[in-house]
Amino acid sequence: MRRGRTIVFATALELLCEPLFMLVLQAALLLSAVAPAMHYHQFGEASRMARDAGLSAILLCGATIAFTGPIRTFRREIETGTAQVALAHSVSRTSFFLHKAIGCAMAYGVFALTVALVSLTVVNGAEIGGRIAEKTGDIARLWGPSFTLALAAALLPIVAAAVLNRFARFRFVLTANLLSASIAILSALYRFDAALSIRLMPALALAALPSLALLAASAAFAVRFKANVASTLSAAVAIMLLPALGNYCLSDALAQGGMIPWTYLACATAAALPAIAALLLLGVHFINGRDLQ
Amino acid sequence: MNGEPVVSLKGVRKTFRDFWLRPTVNAVDGLDLAVARGEVFGLLGPNGSGKSTTIKMILGLLAPTAGEVSMFGLSPRSLAARARLGYLPELSYLHPFLTARETLMYYAGLCGLPHAESARRTAQLLQMVKLDEVANRPVGGFSKGMARRVALASALIGKPELLVLDEPTSGLDPVSTKEVKTLVRALANGGMTVLMTSHLLADAEDVCDRIMILNRGRSVAEGKVSELGESLEDFFLAKVGNADEFVLADFLA
Repeated sequence: MRRGRTIVFATALELLCEPLFMLVLQAALLLSAVAPAMHYHQFGEASRMARDAGLSAILLCGATIAFTGPIRTFRREIETGTAQVALAHSVSRTSFFLHKAIGCAMAYGVFALTVALVSLTVVNGAEIGGRIAEKTGDIARLWGPSFTLALAAALLPIVAAAVLNRFARFRFVLTANLLSASIAILSALYRFDAALSIRLMPALALAALPSLALLAASAAFAVRFKANVASTLSAAVAIMLLPALGNYCLSDALAQGGMIPWTYLACATAAALPAIAALLLLGVHFINGRDLQ
Repeated sequence: MNGEPVVSLKGVRKTFRDFWLRPTVNAVDGLDLAVARGEVFGLLGPNGSGKSTTIKMILGLLAPTAGEVSMFGLSPRSLAARARLGYLPELSYLHPFLTARETLMYYAGLCGLPHAESARRTAQLLQMVKLDEVANRPVGGFSKGMARRVALASALIGKPELLVLDEPTSGLDPVSTKEVKTLVRALANGGMTVLMTSHLLADAEDVCDRIMILNRGRSVAEGKVSELGESLEDFFLAKVGNADEFVLADFLA
């Protein structure tokens, strides 16, 4: 148990320390915060814009994290030899692979949670601000405080992390990522409309499921093939998953003020879990059958 | 040899193959080896002689093409056997994003030590390798010698019964090299079995009880260092062949 936990946390920490993770997270936060704001004055569907931008950010940037994270960490472990040192301890290859995959999923979870909470804040702000604007005509209320909070989640951590790195030797990238997540959690408390947020949950989950399948595929290919081959094969899986990646577009229901049925989410989960399990088993087979030089 | 050997190889062969499974190189060819409890055993040989391949088969990282490898009488893939092992690789493979303290805590975690015990041993070992003042800096910024010390401390954190050292003095300055040799002797005197590889004959002469010389994957000599004659270097060169001089005349003309 302790061995597994050690591998999970080290892997998550490794990915959270990666500049690429920080750049993708900041891009996703800016996309969710800024993209809808650009259209507010033109289309008058502020909350829909905010929702679609948030879901797109989770989907596209999340798929990038799910795609690159496992390939980078597994290839780095195998090519630099840290995997060999870890496997010289009383850790089985199966356990090593599965716990590293869980570590990757944990890093993805930090990303998805941060972006989802910021998106919810922006959508909440737009929805509530929209109602106020209808009554008062004050259109600035649409994107004022919630937009500022979302922007703060993206930009403030960079400045704070730089200061902490300069004066207290904190790790810059890790600090920035954790501060983004913390601000996202705090921002969710602002004008929190529980009913609206619950309405969006199935859509967020549907955006995450194909990314987790992609993560499992990338992990499996990364332990067997070199980075370029693993990337190509993972890209092929991503293309196959594309129809599933558009799952959240079932959000006609969302657009009409309803929600994606929970039964649909259950069916999608039931379809995704065996696929994820099969890909992880493939990875276990690959790592157990190979020489580690 | 008294008792069951800690490490035993019988008729071990390792052939590497390419993508089409065509054999590319016989890295180890019919090797027999036995390391007794409490001894310091050295595997010597020129570059490419099969030392690291042999070590990796003992660790269970490479599967032998033929023959039998055992550690503490168990398969090298057995978790029970590996729980009694410490390994220092040829290059100091460390996670650059972890600090020295986190690195040792990570390996303590892989040994299954409880958190309090991990913290205690980490502090002890950091002091032992004289890195306690930089314990909270990421190892990615360490010099080669400092990284080597972290790797050595990582190998010792589980208090192993068998310590496998692949080129332990690689990248160290003369002072650090002497410190490592003294440490290895002290560990052996404390009852630890040590299996080390080196192509530095001085290392073997100073530290090892018994050596085996490998050349092109085969054992060409084995015995106690004290029984090999006055100069280990002469003995070594006689076994693996004298160095050829580069032909520079055409290049310099």
